Amino acid sequence: MKKAFVFALAVLATSVVAASAQGSQTAAARSLASFNCSKTITLPFVTPLTGGAGFLGTEQMSWAKYAVKTLAPQLGLKVKLVGGDTPVEQGPAPAQTLAQKYIGTPSVLALLGPSTSGAVAASTKAYYAAKLAHISPSATRTDLTKTVGGTYEGTPAFFRDVPGDYIQGPSDANFMINSLHVKKVVIMDFQEPYSLGLAGAVESTLKAKGVTTIRLSAPNTTTDYSAYVTKVPGDADIVFFPTQKPGDAQTFAQQLIEQGKKAKVFGGDGSNDSSQFKQPGSYVSNFAPDITGIAADAKLIAGWKKDNPGKAVGSFGPPSYGAVQIALTAISKACKAGGGSTTRAAVFHTFKKVSIKNWILGGSFKWSTKSNDPLNAKFYIFQIQSNGSYKLVG
Amino acid sequence: MDQFIQLTVDGLTLGSVYALIALGYTLVYGVLKLLNFAHGDVFMVGTFVGFGVLQALGGPASPNVPIWLVITLVTLSAMAVCAALGVAIERFAYRPLRDAPRIAPLISALGVSFFLANSMQLLFGATPRNYDLFEYHTGTLYLRGLHIGGVTVPLLRIITIVAAFVLMVILWFLVNKTRTGKAMRATSFDREAAAMMGIDIDRVIVFTFILGSALAGAAGVMFSLRVPTNVSIGFIAGLKGFIAAVIGGIGSIPGAMAGGLILGFLESYIQGYVHGAHIPDGTQWSDLYVFSVLIALMLFRHQGLFGRPDIRKV
Repeated sequence: MKKAFVFALAVLATSVVAASAQGSQTAAARSLASFNCSKTITLPFVTPLTGGAGFLGTEQMSWAKYAVKTLAPQLGLKVKLVGGDTPVEQGPAPAQTLAQKYIGTPSVLALLGPSTSGAVAASTKAYYAAKLAHISPSATRTDLTKTVGGTYEGTPAFFRDVPGDYIQGPSDANFMINSLHVKKVVIMDFQEPYSLGLAGAVESTLKAKGVTTIRLSAPNTTTDYSAYVTKVPGDADIVFFPTQKPGDAQTFAQQLIEQGKKAKVFGGDGSNDSSQFKQPGSYVSNFAPDITGIAADAKLIAGWKKDNPGKAVGSFGPPSYGAVQIALTAISKACKAGGGSTTRAAVFHTFKKVSIKNWILGGSFKWSTKSNDPLNAKFYIFQIQSNGSYKLVG
Repeated sequence: MDQFIQLTVDGLTLGSVYALIALGYTLVYGVLKLLNFAHGDVFMVGTFVGFGVLQALGGPASPNVPIWLVITLVTLSAMAVCAALGVAIERFAYRPLRDAPRIAPLISALGVSFFLANSMQLLFGATPRNYDLFEYHTGTLYLRGLHIGGVTVPLLRIITIVAAFVLMVILWFLVNKTRTGKAMRATSFDREAAAMMGIDIDRVIVFTFILGSALAGAAGVMFSLRVPTNVSIGFIAGLKGFIAAVIGGIGSIPGAMAGGLILGFLESYIQGYVHGAHIPDGTQWSDLYVFSVLIALMLFRHQGLFGRPDIRKV
């Protein structure tokens, strides 16, 4: 009996090792498998389509759809856009599941997203093993493209067309110091990768400049912040609130007023939604300017609005259009270089060669030579006005 | 002292909502011995119904009728729609499984929960909805209220707490002072014996679902008066309501009320007071503490604070 048991264990162990080897061989083999560019390419977009951050994914998808509709014919490609849902409340698991699914789909040559930093960290290694380039229009955590304190959570397969928190954090902190002259700042995080990274970046910059900081941490599922508001000192100037749910930023701002606290809420790019976060006097930072102010984008915006009646132009959508533009341009270049066929590996190697002249966010787009981030990108700071609109202040 | 008053008000507000949700769980469990996992999503539907009615009445900034009437109509509408939803759920998802093994209606309840959440997502999208009552007369519902010490208890919280307690009193009256309530209690005690006594069990069960779901609808509105809602909010709310019902003793109406309030106070005081160099911070780990208390309670009093221990015939 004992011998049989040991034998069965040995067979099981051998099977697992063989399956793993087979899996990595399959991923490697798929990265070199030739794809006929005249066939329909599947372009997945891994983004939260449901849950508290579903508004973000929905906006991004609408712009990605519009980009595929307008750009694919221009680049001579047939493209099918598919959505992969990663609700923020479910953590990184959906991103990992989707990664396996899309790696196993031969018509996927590149991928959009994941939109959230945690989902990128959870899935980028799998994409890199498959040499599947993926570009995010909103994952801003620093250690996805740079080493921070010895930690690097990204891979060479991950790209983003928006700047990282290593720019956002210091930008926000320096604005608070130089323009708002803060003395005491409360910094919140929500126990997930995006807010932890950004809160840490802001905290270290503020502390280095002698500002008193108080750190609070709330579970990502919190909806009522009353108890947290009691911990905000009466003389705090700002509460840095890097949530991915703008409605929560609004709730917090109102509960501060309810309890007679003078501090204003300062949200990160995750809270950028004028329909939900509109408390006058609050601040928001974002990686994109308001493109309605860019004359060259007028026709593009009109076309998008025609496809999306009644919807307003937000800040998360345009970078998604840009991400599609980069991905499809890379695929098109790789297809031309391959004489009408290409591989995932070829597309991956072409990504960094893409530059865009008339960039949707203004100016032109080029990659940084030091990382897979855009060159010379910056963050913009807005203050919410009495009518709920966002005014550029920094 | 001001912090204690503030945290007490917070706990009372939160606890009132939890109590209303817990009552729905406990009513259904008491009569059917079924854990209605769709209850949290009925609560979620209530939040959306309330939002829709609020918009139909002119929105928060300039409503067509006085604000007290707005809140009343919003609450009653949510209660009515959720009550109807509860009846439909009972009729189509639970009644056919009444004589099936206990696991079957439980699975059906889970299925209904996912069905409701996904249906609402399909109909209304993923964007959260905010009642935005801060817009009413530039925040008067938040800024005016009762002054206790250095703390102002805002009107909105007073409305939430008072409304929840009024509903609990009405429920108590219905269950303890009416014939239908007596029938409910009899069915809860022994369904077969109640049937033999001539009680229409189907009617009692339907009435129970009407009551429980209406309370969930009311809880949804009370909740959303102050925080935004979205289609995925039902899971957490349902879980908290279930925990409250278990703390008080599942099947016990006073237990559900007490359990909800205890849970609300626990969360509030832990988040406000628990912090130190060598212990997990309360704001960060409130769920850890709350579930630890729940486990301890189950170990020492598994029937909950007001529940009856199981009596087995030998």
